[in-house]
Amino acid sequence: MDIRDELIEHVPRLRRYARALINNRELADDLVQDTLERAIARTELFRPGTDLRAWLFTIMHNIFVNQVRKSAARGAHVSVDDESVPETDYAVPATQTSALEVRDLDYALQRLPMEQREVVLLVGLEEMSYADVALALDIPIGTVMSRLSRGRERLRALMAGSVPRANLKVVR
Amino acid sequence: MSEQNNPVTQDEIHAYVDGTLSEARRADVEGELERNPELAARASDFFALNNLLHERYDRVLDEPLPARLRIAAPAAEAPAVRTARPAANWPRFAGLAATLVLGVGIGWGMHFGVSGMSASGGATAMAGGGELRAVSADSSMRFAQQAALAHVVYMPTVARPDAMDDSQEQDFVKWLANRLGTDVHAPMLSKSGFELSGGRLLTGDDGGEVAQFMYHNARGERVTLCISHRKTSANTTAFKLYQDGPVNVFYWVDGDFGYALSGGIDRKALLQLAHDVYAQLTPR
Repeated sequence: MDIRDELIEHVPRLRRYARALINNRELADDLVQDTLERAIARTELFRPGTDLRAWLFTIMHNIFVNQVRKSAARGAHVSVDDESVPETDYAVPATQTSALEVRDLDYALQRLPMEQREVVLLVGLEEMSYADVALALDIPIGTVMSRLSRGRERLRALMAGSVPRANLKVVR
Repeated sequence: MSEQNNPVTQDEIHAYVDGTLSEARRADVEGELERNPELAARASDFFALNNLLHERYDRVLDEPLPARLRIAAPAAEAPAVRTARPAANWPRFAGLAATLVLGVGIGWGMHFGVSGMSASGGATAMAGGGELRAVSADSSMRFAQQAALAHVVYMPTVARPDAMDDSQEQDFVKWLANRLGTDVHAPMLSKSGFELSGGRLLTGDDGGEVAQFMYHNARGERVTLCISHRKTSANTTAFKLYQDGPVNVFYWVDGDFGYALSGGIDRKALLQLAHDVYAQLTPR
């Protein structure tokens, strides 16, 4: 089967991930387009039998990192590191509606350092295994776990009070 | 229990949330969560975050692809990405790629993708010439949430260890059918090792009545099936997966009825059961 046939199947998911990563439809689709173009230009580098999805996310990651780096150099991108945002500033009362929760989610995600956002999304949204995330981002698995942990803790703090608790008791 | 010499780590809490923790450690982690409310609250928030991410972004899977993201057929020599592909092709791939639907569907329900998981009021993803009417995402999603809740809230109170005997079962089912105003019956899942162990009538949040059937197998695993008589009829939807912590719920709508099968068992096994239920409860 031609790799393009397989690529097509991955496009909606690449878009979903990019949208969560960037939160701007045009820019997110730009990222997907760049990713697809690079993938198609380099199909000979893809080893058949390996995980196409991981390969595509690796390409997307590399493009994204480069873009962020470039725009940071131009001063257009405001990066927020762990310490600079007091987490309590973003606590939202528990009575908010779900529409607001959803907007809070966009907002909170954008307050995450890029490295943490990628891991939180690849695991939570894309449902990749930790090993695949390590592979796609080319980082050790221990780094995946620490970014996941810090990212989730931070999101939790940013959205404090607005995330509906599952509150389910475990039964088997 | 081995938690004394093998304490539960932070990584394991995440693995538990993401469903990748080994079976062997599950009991230890759950024990720790029971003992440590602060940890349980965190794990619960992490679950909720994962759900929220899907609620917020899964809708992107159903959006029509802009022309610039359509990939040309392999034979075409033209510049690949920017070449348009017939727009009608995209929903098939959106459906195939949908993680939550696990690639299953009921016939042409396949086209439905994961629209039901979106958080917006009415999921309106249309495909295949518009023969499908979108079911309100809110109501079917809420039904799945209720079913998950009913599963965990009511299961522990089912004290009957053995399957009901035949005559009890018939009486119960007859009574239930009268209440629901239809000749619903409890599907037989004994082929998969699950026996009916009880049932009850719940009130749905729209005031309608919901029949809940409980099943268990020889290993003590339990699943519950909720059937609600919907106030508004809708066309058949694909199976959708709702996950709330360790409880998976496959739910679908078929005409006047909504179905939700919940259980803490393996997703594939639960899906197989859902197919079984669907096959038995759908008038052919």
